Amino acid sequence: MTSKKQLQLAYGLAIGLFIVGVVCYAYTAFSAKPLDQPIRLMYKVAAGNVLFDHQTHADESGYGLSCADCHHHPEEDEEANQACGNCHVIPSEAEPVPKTCLDCHEADEIEDAIPMKRSDAFHKQCGNCHAEIEAGPLEKECNSCHVR
Amino acid sequence: MDKAKKFIVSHAPFWHNGNSVNERYYHIMIAALPAVLLGIKQYGIPAVGVVALSVSSAILWELAMNYLTHRPITIADGNAALIGLLFAMAVPATMPWWAVLTGTFICVVIGKHIFGGIGSNAFNPVVLAVAMVMVSWKDLFDFDGALLNYDLDMVMAYPLAAVKHFGVGAIESFSTADLLLGRQSGGIGATFGLGLILGGIYLIIRGFIRWEISVSFLLGVFLTAWIFNLAAPDRFAGPTFHLLTGYTLIGAFFLATEDSSSPVNFIPMLIYGAAGGVLTVLIRNIGAHVDGVVYAILTINLVNPLLDKIRPKAVGKVV
Ligand code: HEC
Ligand code: HEC
Ligand code: HEC
Ligand code: HEC
Ligand code: HEC
Repeated sequence: MTSKKQLQLAYGLAIGLFIVGVVCYAYTAFSAKPLDQPIRLMYKVAAGNVLFDHQTHADESGYGLSCADCHHHPEEDEEANQACGNCHVIPSEAEPVPKTCLDCHEADEIEDAIPMKRSDAFHKQCGNCHAEIEAGPLEKECNSCHVR
Repeated sequence: MDKAKKFIVSHAPFWHNGNSVNERYYHIMIAALPAVLLGIKQYGIPAVGVVALSVSSAILWELAMNYLTHRPITIADGNAALIGLLFAMAVPATMPWWAVLTGTFICVVIGKHIFGGIGSNAFNPVVLAVAMVMVSWKDLFDFDGALLNYDLDMVMAYPLAAVKHFGVGAIESFSTADLLLGRQSGGIGATFGLGLILGGIYLIIRGFIRWEISVSFLLGVFLTAWIFNLAAPDRFAGPTFHLLTGYTLIGAFFLATEDSSSPVNFIPMLIYGAAGGVLTVLIRNIGAHVDGVVYAILTINLVNPLLDKIRPKAVGKVV
């Protein structure tokens, strides 16, 4: 290769690949569609991040749990398959009752039944099921979920 | 002044492989290609985006530096493109565009040109950039977090993180064949063991990299991992696992061998490589980081000038 050819190649690479790169990033950004269920979820916690393998828990080829084992409210209802954090939030001045509840309930009907915050819900549900099934990390085995 | 050539001569021995600088970088890129292609096959369009943006932006930074410093245009030598390619190989396919641009900026401008340009850099520019981005935005290099939404037909846990956090029990599902064939999560071009090894052998046979460095690096990893594994087999993974995961192979063949940050004499090369391998496993097994290759290579880059002092006595020298 002569060095003139190499220079042309370098300019070609720089311009061509730059365009390809921009197109790919744009395509990725605009074609992203929400998954109908998560694959893996990572919770960033000061005590150490938690990686939750949603797909393996729910899939037949994994642990084969049913959606309702975790997505519990209301019972046996597709509507329940939403983020725990929608309902399990700490009440605030602006939102004394979680907004999601109001899709189905009147505010005064549920004032006394505000659910616990999300991290407590996780510790309780994840830990209880693992204890019942005798597989997976127990609530006191912090380091099996939280990694630093 | 522009076209005036700077020519600095250091002590013997010299080593020339008969090729020009230019050809060499293009050959290294070709050798890296199989690993990159597998990454693109696995991670799809986003991986193409990262590789394309990384290579092109590295060339453009180089061009910008050429103009700013009023020097001849050097992008034709392929070094900038190679730097961009290697950076892309080390990062996950979900790397945001601004982090790619920042990374190649650190490579080319800080890692290479501030030290005086090609041949004068004290550190491998790519390793320096990966380390700086890693320290600044830790989550970008957390492969488990970065690749959350990928469901490829393989175990998707990042092997080195799994063994570090949960012990050897957590990596039983990785077979050596899986690791060799790239069936593991990680950087775009860092997981295809077989591809990297073949690329490395090609470069060694053609004389583009020194086998002394690659082989001693791998031996350092192997022996250290083996000793740890013998001492506590349920805590520390075996040597083959360490050879085929993380950045070990890309480090041994493509990063540690970068010429201006590595020694030229036989014994120094062996010490340099072996020290890198030993440090890698020490950091992985008892250090704070999941992978140690990046920091190990920065460390050996740092001691490289000292190692180069070990050299044969000049014949006939009197004083
Ligand atoms: C082992 C318990 C478990 C099982 C079984 C399970 N999920 Fe989930 N799911 C979760 C958790 C935990 C989250 C995360 C909630 C959060 O981050 O607030 C979640 C989140 C989701 C979300 C995302 C909601 C959002 O808006 O982010 C969907 C959709 C979902 N699950 C659907 C399903 C479906 C459908 C099934 C059955 C095939 C299922 N899940 C089975 C625990 C489970
Ligand atoms: C649609 C709202 C809603 C969603 C979504 C939801 N919860 Fe709840 N959760 C509730 C309510 C309301 C209660 C309290 C009343 C009850 O026990 O049913 C509750 C109670 C609980 C309790 C305590 C149960 C007990 O026996 O004391 C746990 C644990 C829990 N939720 C975990 C989860 C987890 C984990 C998820 C996500 C997979 C989730 N919840 C999603 C509304 C919700
Ligand atoms: C998708 C609709 C829906 C949402 C959202 C919802 N609920 Fe309910 N809730 C129901 C249904 C249906 C029932 C009755 C059947 C049952 O118990 O599952 C119910 C029952 C209840 C009960 C009475 C339980 C009992 O055993 O009598 C309470 C308390 C309650 N919900 C609280 C809440 C709170 C608090 C929220 C918000 C965090 C919430 N719900 C969100 C549909 C919903
Ligand atoms: C309804 C039951 C159930 C719930 C709820 C549940 N799990 Fe599990 N989990 C399992 C089972 C079954 C296993 C399989 C353990 C095994 O086979 O070794 C498991 C295993 C695990 C493991 C170990 C995985 C491994 O590869 O060894 C982790 C970590 C884990 N679960 C995290 C969680 C977290 C975090 C939550 C709450 C968000 C959760 N689980 C909720 C049933 C559950
Ligand atoms: C089954 C898995 C699991 C185990 C075991 C577990 N955790 Fe967690 N923990 C989680 C998850 C998931 C979250 C994320 C909650 C969120 O972001 O809402 C969390 C959140 C937390 C938080 C942050 C709470 C907050 O409100 O932000 C703390 C602190 C914590 N865990 C401490 C512990 C300690 C201490 C232990 C051991 C006694 C422990 N965890 C055991 C899964 C687990």
